[in-house]
Amino acid sequence: MIRPALIIARKDLRLIAGCRGGLLQALLLGLLLIFMFSLSLAPGQVMSPQGAATVFWMSSAFCQVLVFNTLHSHEEENGQMLGLLLSPIPPQSIWLGKALAGACLLFLAQLVFLPAVFVFLRQEAGALWPVGLASIIVSDVGIAALGALLGSLARGQSAREALFSVIIFPLLTPLLLGGIRIGTAVLSPGADGDYANWLGISLAFDAIFTAAAMVLFPLVYNVDD
Amino acid sequence: MLLRLRDISRFYDHRPVFKNVSLDLRRGRVTLLCGPNGAGKSTLLKILAGLIKPSEGEVIFPAGEAPNVGYLDHRTFIYPTLSALDNLRFWADLRGAPSADEDLFPVLERMDLSDFAGEPAGLFSRGMAQRLNLARVFMQRPDLMLLDEPSNGLDQASLALLRAEIKKAGEDGTCIVWITHSPDQDKGRADEIALLDKGALRVYPAVP
Repeated sequence: MIRPALIIARKDLRLIAGCRGGLLQALLLGLLLIFMFSLSLAPGQVMSPQGAATVFWMSSAFCQVLVFNTLHSHEEENGQMLGLLLSPIPPQSIWLGKALAGACLLFLAQLVFLPAVFVFLRQEAGALWPVGLASIIVSDVGIAALGALLGSLARGQSAREALFSVIIFPLLTPLLLGGIRIGTAVLSPGADGDYANWLGISLAFDAIFTAAAMVLFPLVYNVDD
Repeated sequence: MLLRLRDISRFYDHRPVFKNVSLDLRRGRVTLLCGPNGAGKSTLLKILAGLIKPSEGEVIFPAGEAPNVGYLDHRTFIYPTLSALDNLRFWADLRGAPSADEDLFPVLERMDLSDFAGEPAGLFSRGMAQRLNLARVFMQRPDLMLLDEPSNGLDQASLALLRAEIKKAGEDGTCIVWITHSPDQDKGRADEIALLDKGALRVYPAVP
C-alpha cells in the first residue's frame, strides 16, 4: 500500500509543480485572507493572539479545499481515475497518495502563511513555538486524511468547491479548534496553556479520520454506470 | 476460458438495463459488442473490468483469479503536463513493471511516438494521445482487453495503427471485447458478434 501511495503522491506533486495553478491559487487565497484581516487593525494596533491563530487556520482551511480539489481533478480530466481503479493496487493507496501530496502542499502553504501572520497581524512567537509546529503537523495529518477522502466525494460535481467546503468544514472543527487554542498559547508571551489536552484531541481526531478514510474510501471512490 | 458471465442483470432504480446476460470469454478471441445507444454496452464492459458489480448473477473466473484487464475508451488517461515517457513510467510503476527508459522506449517506438517521448502529452493530437494510451495498455500485457469505442475522433493513420495493434494482440492470445458503432467495418477482425438490445444479449459468429 505504501509503495503505490508514494508513486501517486510523487506524480501529484510533479503535476502541481508543472501547472502551478492549484497551489498558487491556494496560496493567494490564504495570503489575501491574512492581508484583509490586517486591514481591520488600526495603525499600531496588534491583533489578539487568538484572532491571529484563527486567521492562520482559516487560511489553511480554505487553502486545503483548493489543494484537494486540484489533486482530485487531476484524475478526472482524461478519465485517469479509471486507470487507477484498474491498477493492481489497494484503493486505500490512492487515498494515501492524495493525503501525502495534500499534506506536503498544505504544509508548504503554511510555511508562507506563518511569516505573513507575524508581519501583517504583528505577532511574535513565544517560547512554545516547537509545540506550535507540532500542532500544525498533527492538525495537517487529520486535515489531509479528511480532505483526501471528501475530495473524492465531491468529484464530478459542477459546484465541487462549494460542496466540498460544506461537507468538510463542520468535520474539521475539532482540529481547527485545537490548532487555534495551541496557536493562541504559542503567540501569547509567557503563556503555558492547556495545549497538551488539545494536542491529544487533535491526535485522536487524526486517528478517527484516518480509520474512517481507510474504510470509506473504497466505497466512495468508484465509477458511475 | 478466461471469464464467464452467468445470468448477469443490472438495474437502475429498479429498471433493468439488461437481464440474464451470459457470455463466455476465451483467450485469443475477439468479440464485437454492438447495440443501440443506452443498451448498456459500457455498463457490461465495466462489469467485465470489475469496476462495477452486477445487480444479479455471477462473474466467474475459471482460472481462479481475475484476469489482467487492459481498458481503453475514448478518454486518453494521460496527464497533460507529464511527458509521454513519464506518463508511461507512472502506469508501469503502479503495476510494479520495469520502467527504465530502455523498457519504455520500445513501446513508444511501436506506437510511432519515440520522437515525442520527452514532449508534454498535453501537446499531443487526439490520435497521438490515444496511441500513448494504447501503449499504456500494451505495456501491461493484458489477458483481457476491453475497448469502449476507442476509435472515436481518430485520424485515419491512428485508426489504422489502432486496428493493426488490436489484431496483433488478438493473435497473441489476448481476449478482446470491443464496443463499436461500425460493426460492418470491424466484423472482419472479430470472431463473434454480441448484440445487446432490449435488455438481452445474442451472440453469433462474425461473418466477414
